[in-house]
Amino acid sequence: MHRRPVLLALCAVTAAPWRAVAQDGPIRLRDLYNHDLSFSDLALAHEGKRLSIAGFMAPPLKADSQFYVLTKMPMAVCPFCEPGQAWPDDILAVYERRIVTVFPFNVPIVTRGILELGDHVDPDLGFYSRVRIVEAVTDRA
Amino acid sequence: MQKFLLSTAAVLGLTSFAAAQDLAQAENAWFKAGQATIAARLAVQPNTNKARNVILFTADGNGVGTNYAIRLFEGQKLGGLGDDHVQPQEAFPYAALVKTYSTNGQTPDSAPTAAAMNSGVKTKNDLINMPDSVAVGDCAAGLATSMTLFSDIATQLGKSVGVVSTARITHATPAAVYARTVNRDWEDNSSIPEGCAQKDIAAQLFDAMKAGTIDLALGGGRQHFLPETVTDSEGKPGKRTDGRNITEEVKALGGQYVENDVDFMALTLGNNAPILGLFEPSHMKYEQDRSGEPSLAQMTEAAIKSLQSNDNGFYLMVEAGRVDHANHAGNLHRTLVDGVAFNDAIRKALELTSAEDTLIIVTADHEHAISFNGYCGRGSAITGLCMEINEAGVEHTGTPETAADGKPYTVAGYLNGAGSVLVEQADGSFSGTRPADLTNEIAMDPDYLQQALIPMTSETHSGEDVMVFAQGPWAHLFGGTIEQNVIFHVMNYAVNAQ
Repeated sequence: MHRRPVLLALCAVTAAPWRAVAQDGPIRLRDLYNHDLSFSDLALAHEGKRLSIAGFMAPPLKADSQFYVLTKMPMAVCPFCEPGQAWPDDILAVYERRIVTVFPFNVPIVTRGILELGDHVDPDLGFYSRVRIVEAVTDRA
Repeated sequence: MQKFLLSTAAVLGLTSFAAAQDLAQAENAWFKAGQATIAARLAVQPNTNKARNVILFTADGNGVGTNYAIRLFEGQKLGGLGDDHVQPQEAFPYAALVKTYSTNGQTPDSAPTAAAMNSGVKTKNDLINMPDSVAVGDCAAGLATSMTLFSDIATQLGKSVGVVSTARITHATPAAVYARTVNRDWEDNSSIPEGCAQKDIAAQLFDAMKAGTIDLALGGGRQHFLPETVTDSEGKPGKRTDGRNITEEVKALGGQYVENDVDFMALTLGNNAPILGLFEPSHMKYEQDRSGEPSLAQMTEAAIKSLQSNDNGFYLMVEAGRVDHANHAGNLHRTLVDGVAFNDAIRKALELTSAEDTLIIVTADHEHAISFNGYCGRGSAITGLCMEINEAGVEHTGTPETAADGKPYTVAGYLNGAGSVLVEQADGSFSGTRPADLTNEIAMDPDYLQQALIPMTSETHSGEDVMVFAQGPWAHLFGGTIEQNVIFHVMNYAVNAQ
């Protein structure tokens, strides 16, 4: 009997971030996560849908690939702090429609594609990801 | 008694001197505060007790400039203008400037700097507790040498020893408390060249725990303690190729091992059994992003409460390891949030110990290529834009200063790093221009990278001085401008003083 108001409330919660996205342009990577790195309401609401995310392109792991990693801040191998090249948790795997056009790691970019959530290991690269954008098109911000 | 009389005479002398001057500005608040500072300094008496406990706080990469930025950030966070804020260590009675260069590096890394503090001698970049006669990576030469560390000295005096870091516990600064290595990157056995008999850093931590020279170790770096065939509680595999699961080995010693904040809070403290906490596969999270892990202050509290059960006292090294990493990233916001977490840890140590018997030293290993613009009005957010000075008042006008290109600029920047305004072009050359649309809101975003000049993938350390602040037994041995290895010698004198 109380289902309708609950559903309406859920719609209101999820609709608000979407309006913000539509009005303010691309979302940021951090908008996909809660503080404990669980997926945010916005991420859950957009699973399987197309959206734009701003960030930076980590140096691609392989040349002429359709895959790269989107980071929230410019991220390259740090000779002093990351000899093991340990990537942070809150990164996004991007699978492009075409071969990736490589941008320098510190140039702001926006990628637009379909949001996929859940664990995935790339069969070719062995790269583990929790969240991906597929069918993506990327350009400078 | 003689000291007391001298001190009293000095204070009385100051009072009569000030009165005799009858200066027009004598009632000015700054003047009075200056007088109060002199009176306080005259009242300071050297503490010549033998140090029961020594706590060495190191914020990695927190040189004079970074420390200044943390001061403003914390002060502004508390609602003030920032520059007049006093961080806990800045209220200590003794301080000195510290020269951080290594024997072959005008710019040091964290290995020789931490080694200087723990062994009493300077050495080469990338070496930890090895003499500089050894070449980096020279396994045989390293095995032929020996150094006694401050943790060994503390153990010989019957004290307990702990090491706490938000970096990997095998990273250079914490490693220097217990390890000796010809290459700082040999954190697990997979990094050691074939045929080299030197033990990796994680294995050396286990040996130290087994020998009783390390009683507690809390930090990150789980991957170096687990075999590659074993995954941790986060599903991440270890890196060891020798099959050793050092976390299980510590438990087999009767020790406690934890991986998250919930189990950490349930640790039994002070039962004299080894404690190992490894809260991340690699470094712990930045304070800005922390989740599921204890804070540096919580780890410091647990360490002190555990080590205090030893009547002979303890030596504890606490590192805010990620101040350095956020500086490397060119991300001032996270640098400063971790700096505040460092201050919280110092405040916790001050609360749990007494200056009568505990020497507390607060320092850094090195500085970064951080730099500061002018002429900013007071209250300009340290991570934000440099605002015009208000000629009719105190706080800035709210109007950003602009450079010759007509664009605003931030208070702080970096000389090099990922935030470089020079960007690689398609032909491989570098060129660029500063963005025109920079606002205070954009600059103060937690993910913003301050503008830098020279393009680099990672911002660098610098050779600029760091501070050392101290209170407690023999803290008065710090003064002037000193070499970094002197820190060891003050600690050593303080625990052995007769």
